[in-house]
Amino acid sequence: MGRIVGIDLGTTNSLVAYVDSPTGQPKCIPGPYGSTLCPSVVSLDPDGSVIVGEAARRRLLTQPERTIYSVKRLMGRGPADVQSELQLFPFRIDPQSKNVIRVMLGDKMFTPPEISAFILRELRNWAESFLGEPVDRAVITVPAYFNDAERQATKDAGRIAGLEVLRLVNEPTAAALAYGLHEKQRGHVAVYDLGGGTFDISILKLISTNEGDIYQVLSTNGDTHLGGDDIDNLLQAFVHKRIRETEDLDFSPHGELAQDLRKSLIAAKHELSEKVSVTLRFALPNGKTFVHNFSRADFEALIKNVVTRTMGPVKQALADAHLAPSAIEEVVLVGGTTRTPLIRRTVQEFFGRKPHTELNPDEVVALGAAVQANILERGVSNMLLLDVTPLSLGIETYGGAVSKIIPRNSTIPASAQEQYTTGVDNQTGIDIHVLQGERELARDCRSLARFTLKVPPAPAGFPRIEVAFLIDANGILQVAAKDMRTGEEHSIEVQPSYGINDTEIERMLEESIEYAEQDFAERQLIEARTESEAILSATIKALANPQSSEIGATERAHIEAAIAALKQSVTGTDYKQIRKRVDELNHATEHLAELLMNSAVSTALAGRNLAEV
Amino acid sequence: MDALEQKFLQLSWKLHPDNFVNTNEREREMSLQRSSRLNDAYRVLRDPVARVEYLLELEGMRKEGEHKQQAPPELLEEVFELNESLDELREAKSAGANLDGLTLKLRVAEKSFGEKLHEVDAEMKTAAQQWDAALDANASESDREAILQRLNELLNRRSYIRNLVAGVEKELQGASC
Repeated sequence: MGRIVGIDLGTTNSLVAYVDSPTGQPKCIPGPYGSTLCPSVVSLDPDGSVIVGEAARRRLLTQPERTIYSVKRLMGRGPADVQSELQLFPFRIDPQSKNVIRVMLGDKMFTPPEISAFILRELRNWAESFLGEPVDRAVITVPAYFNDAERQATKDAGRIAGLEVLRLVNEPTAAALAYGLHEKQRGHVAVYDLGGGTFDISILKLISTNEGDIYQVLSTNGDTHLGGDDIDNLLQAFVHKRIRETEDLDFSPHGELAQDLRKSLIAAKHELSEKVSVTLRFALPNGKTFVHNFSRADFEALIKNVVTRTMGPVKQALADAHLAPSAIEEVVLVGGTTRTPLIRRTVQEFFGRKPHTELNPDEVVALGAAVQANILERGVSNMLLLDVTPLSLGIETYGGAVSKIIPRNSTIPASAQEQYTTGVDNQTGIDIHVLQGERELARDCRSLARFTLKVPPAPAGFPRIEVAFLIDANGILQVAAKDMRTGEEHSIEVQPSYGINDTEIERMLEESIEYAEQDFAERQLIEARTESEAILSATIKALANPQSSEIGATERAHIEAAIAALKQSVTGTDYKQIRKRVDELNHATEHLAELLMNSAVSTALAGRNLAEV
Repeated sequence: MDALEQKFLQLSWKLHPDNFVNTNEREREMSLQRSSRLNDAYRVLRDPVARVEYLLELEGMRKEGEHKQQAPPELLEEVFELNESLDELREAKSAGANLDGLTLKLRVAEKSFGEKLHEVDAEMKTAAQQWDAALDANASESDREAILQRLNELLNRRSYIRNLVAGVEKELQGASC
C-alpha cells in the first residue's frame, strides 16, 4: 500500500502535506511552480485535456467559459440552493438538471465532485513526484460546519480521484492538531477559521492523559458560505457601481473584463493588509482609466458586515461549550482571510488575548491533515482526536415537525435508535425523512435522505422495526433497520437528496481515468528526463564559458564523465537511475557553478545548482 | 477531571475508529458500533437531566421521549398570569402599540421562572443523591419507588417550566426586533 497524505481541499487554494519520517514533522509539498498552494481552479482545454492549478488560474482571464474556481461552494448542494451564488460567479450550470448541479466547461458538463476530483488528482501527482512513491490513500479536510451532503460530496470526489479517503477531518480541528504539536498547548482553545469561502469556529479542550494527548472538540459552529469570496464580491459590487455611475459602463459578472477587475481587486485587498491605503487603477474598454483610492478605513467599513457575521457563530459555540470568552486560554487564527487587520483586531478584542498566527494560515490545515494521516497510518498513536457533529440530526414527525435524535455537538461516532410501527392494517411501508439542522420545522432544515421502510403485512401496530441512525467518525450518516420480532436486519437504500449514487460514481471514476495523465512510473520518467535536459544544457553552456578554464583538467574530466553517464541513463526507462545521475552531475558541477557567479552574489547563491543559476 | 470523564477518555483510547483503520472490516465495524455507544452513554451521563430521564426509563417509570405537559398546581396562578401577558403582547404587536410596559412585565416573569428552574435543578440534585444513598443502603423497594416518583415529578415540572421560559424568550425576541 502507498503513502497516506493529508489534503486541504480549499475554496481558493488546495494543499497536500505529509509527515517527514526522520523528523516526524508535517510538511507541505511544493508543486511544479515551487509553491505549496495549488489554486483550486480547473480549466478544460479545447483539446479535451484538463488543466489544474496555477496554469488554470491564468486561464480565468483568457478562457473564463472553460474555467471554474471556488467549486467548493457548490459541493453537496442542489441547483435551487445556488441561485444567489450564480449572480456573482461566472458559473454556467445545466438548467435541465434538477437534483444534481452540473457545471458547464466549454461544451462538457461536470458535477462539483468531479471537478474537485481533478484538483485531488493534481495534488496526488505533486505528492507522488515529490515522495517518489505511489499515493492511494488520503485524509481530506472539510469545514467543520459542513453538513452530511457536503461531506459525502467531498468523499465522492476522493473516490473519483482514485483515492481511498480514510478520514474527513474538520479544518479547525486539523489546525489545532498542527498548532498543538508546535506550541504544546493545554486547556481550552478556540480556532477561528475564515477561509476563501467558509467560516468555522471550534472550541477544543486539550487534555494530557497517561496514554497521550487528547484533542476533544467541545463545540463547533460556522457558516459554510462566508469567507474571503464575500469580501471580493463586496469590493466588486462597489467598483462596478462606481464605474456604472461615473462612466455609464455596465458589465456582467461573466467574461474577461470582470475577471480582470476581480484579480486587481483581490491584489488590492491583499495590499491593504500591509498598507493603510492603496490606489486601484484599472483600464476600461472606453480607453479611460478608472482610478480609486481605497483607504484601509473605507475598506473596513465595506467589509464590517462580513466580520460581524462571524461573531454570531463564535458566541453560539462558546455558549454550547458552556464557556465564557475569558475561559479560552489560546486563540488560533486559520485561513488566508484572517490576515485582514480588522479580523485580527475583532477577535483579539472579543477574547481579550492576542491570537496565535505563528504558523502560515494557508498551510496549517494541510499540516494538521498530514498529522492525522500519520496517526491513522501507524494504527496506534499517542494522539487522539474526538470531534463532534456540527448539526443536529432529526427525523420528520407528524405535521412537518422535526424530532431531534442526535443533538449538535455530540461526540462522533454517535448513534440513536428509533422504534417504528404501522398505523393501518397490512401497511407495507413506513416513510422516513432524515434531516439536519436546528430549526423546528422540516421545511427549514436540510433534507438528507428519504426512504421507505419495508414492513411485512400485519395488523396495525404489530410490526416493531428499530432503525439505527449512526454518524460515523467522518460526520457521515449511516442507516440500518432491524425487525425486532424476527431479528432480521434490513439493508436500507438511502437515496441522498442532493448527492450522486454509487453507480454514477463508478462511471465518473472510469471517465476520470480518461482525463488522468499517464501512470505514476511513466510520469516520473518524463519528469526525470525533463530535469536531466535542463541540467545537461546548463552544464554544456557553462563549460563553453571562457571563465570555466579556471577549473582544472581533472575536474573537467569528472564533469564530462557525469554528463556521459547521465546521457546514457536517459536512453533507458529507469527514472530512479536518471534521478541519481542528475544528482551526481549536480554535485560534480557545484564548484563550477560557484566559480561562474559574480563574487558579489556567489554567497547568496551558494548551494544552488547550475540549472537554477 | 472527574471519574466519569476519566473513564470516558480511557475507553475512547481503546475503542475509537482511528485505532482500527488498518484492521479488517469486522473489527472496524465493531469499533464504530462500540465507540458510538460509548459516546451516546457519555452524552447522557454527563447531563444531570438526561441522566435522570435515563434512570427513570431503566426503572420503567417513564417511556422514552415522554414529557407530561401538565401545569404543576402551585404554579397555576403564575402561569395563568404569564399566558395573559403573552396574549396581550401578541395583540399589542399586531396592533403596532407600544410594547415597553409589557416587555418589562414579561422580563420580570421570565426571571422569576428562571429562578424556579434553578430551584428544580437543585431539588433534582438532592433527590438524585438520595437515590444513590438509598441504593448504597439497600433501601426497601417502597422507599426507592418514592424517590423515583419524586424524580419523575421534578422532571415533569422542569420540562414544563423550561417550555414556558423558551416561549417567553421567543416572544420577547420578536418584540425587540
